[in-house]
Amino acid sequence: MTSRPRGAGVVELLVGAALGVAVLSMLTATLAAGSRLLVAAGARGEAEDTAQLAVEAFGFDARRAGYDPAGVGVTPLLEARPDRVTFAADLDGDGVVDAASEEVTAHACLTSPGRISRIVGRQSLPMADGVTRCGFRYFDVHGTAIAVPAGGLDAVGRAGVRAVAVDVTMTPTGLRAPSQRTVLVALRRSP
Amino acid sequence: MNRGSTTLPAALAAVAVSVALGGALAELTRVEVVLARQRDRAAAALAASDACLADAVVGLPPDWDFAALLAGPDGTLGTADDGVVTALPGCIARARTAPRPGGAPRALLRIDAQGGGGRRLLDAVLGRDPEPGIPALVWLGAPPPAGAVNGNLAVDGADPSDPTAADWAGLAAPDDPAALDAWTAAEGTHVTASARTRPPMVAPAPPITALGARVAASHPSGAGALTPTPGPPPQLVFVHGDLLVTGTLHGAGLVFVDGTLDIRGSFDFTGLVVVSGGVRVAAGASFMVAGALWAGLPAGSVLQVDGTASLAHAESAIHTADALLPLPRRAVLLGMRDL
Repeated sequence: MTSRPRGAGVVELLVGAALGVAVLSMLTATLAAGSRLLVAAGARGEAEDTAQLAVEAFGFDARRAGYDPAGVGVTPLLEARPDRVTFAADLDGDGVVDAASEEVTAHACLTSPGRISRIVGRQSLPMADGVTRCGFRYFDVHGTAIAVPAGGLDAVGRAGVRAVAVDVTMTPTGLRAPSQRTVLVALRRSP
Repeated sequence: MNRGSTTLPAALAAVAVSVALGGALAELTRVEVVLARQRDRAAAALAASDACLADAVVGLPPDWDFAALLAGPDGTLGTADDGVVTALPGCIARARTAPRPGGAPRALLRIDAQGGGGRRLLDAVLGRDPEPGIPALVWLGAPPPAGAVNGNLAVDGADPSDPTAADWAGLAAPDDPAALDAWTAAEGTHVTASARTRPPMVAPAPPITALGARVAASHPSGAGALTPTPGPPPQLVFVHGDLLVTGTLHGAGLVFVDGTLDIRGSFDFTGLVVVSGGVRVAAGASFMVAGALWAGLPAGSVLQVDGTASLAHAESAIHTADALLPLPRRAVLLGMRDL
């Protein structure tokens, strides 16, 4: 009777180690992919929420532009440029539009860094960072887009605006596909 | 070497991290779903509030001011129903006085709407349309009865003298749009509309009684101001009781017939014809209007066209009538704000 050698041989050890490394590598890769997915999903969710908030704030201000319960003749659009729009409203109905309050709100597209901001008086509130495309478009009573010079529309041109649109595109860091929003809001004017 | 002592903890750690990652991903998804649901509710409520506002404004009867609106359904100020406005289900609409009364008539309308599980409030500023009346050639106080036109009723919503004027509808009445379309279709070839005539529109009944009182109080001419020869100057004419036209009559401006307009001859009018009762155009008779016809059509009255009736849009004629006596105007939305 011969005795069999006990313990692991070198070959078994190497194979076992290789299998262990392979399994651990796969686990690590899976975890890394899961982590990347989590980060990307978080970034995507944040980008979509931010873009939505930006256009909701714009819509909120645009809908109430020209609100004039006292009938004093509030001009709804104080500024109409491709990169900036300013709305006015007499929210408290006192017949006066207070430029230092929420009665005058501007929305501005900034380029460096790419950002869209809501400006109330001297306060500028960034609504969205990482903005790669941002702009405002203006439409007349027939729904035709109005050509806007870089300096913006003059008073006569602004008087002909019946709707304003904002286009926002954000490309968050680490994501390839952008988050896009376009909102068109009609302005209420005395007929 | 004991492989089990290192592999098992590593595997367990990997599983723990995976579970943590999965949990985080699930939580992130849950938050996004909740946010999306909230956005959906907000959008639905916003749409509901806008729809409620639009319905309430369209449903307001044309008038000269907002006194009746502010007094509420009982017509008396200082009661519990002041400012109550009939609104769509799931919506409450209530009017109140605008600040700084005076000047152009205005009123505030508060809308409280629920839709899609959300709720929105908004305030709206109402005013009166600068254009008098409504953009329709025939404005009835009741749905048109079936078989009303056995002769020919021709409507032309285009104003040939004013290319900038918007086209008018041929018919307006307080009825369902589908019912008005069905009435037009049922009348067949008896009702002809030009290509630029807009489809029938829904409108509350014209304020015939109030308009009649205003005309009567404005020292109008009588039926004698209607002449057998063409070209009489625009005038305010008030006819007590029925107006029976057996020969040929011409007129311009605004004529108010406090009864039935019964045409058995020829009646040609430029401006606004207002009839508190019914309208009858006998076979072989002719009724030509460059402007508009408003008829109250109370219960028991008739609308019967066995002859020829022709109505054409004439913006200047309506403005002339409005200059003689200010006409009621539709309520329009001047501004709004979300609360």
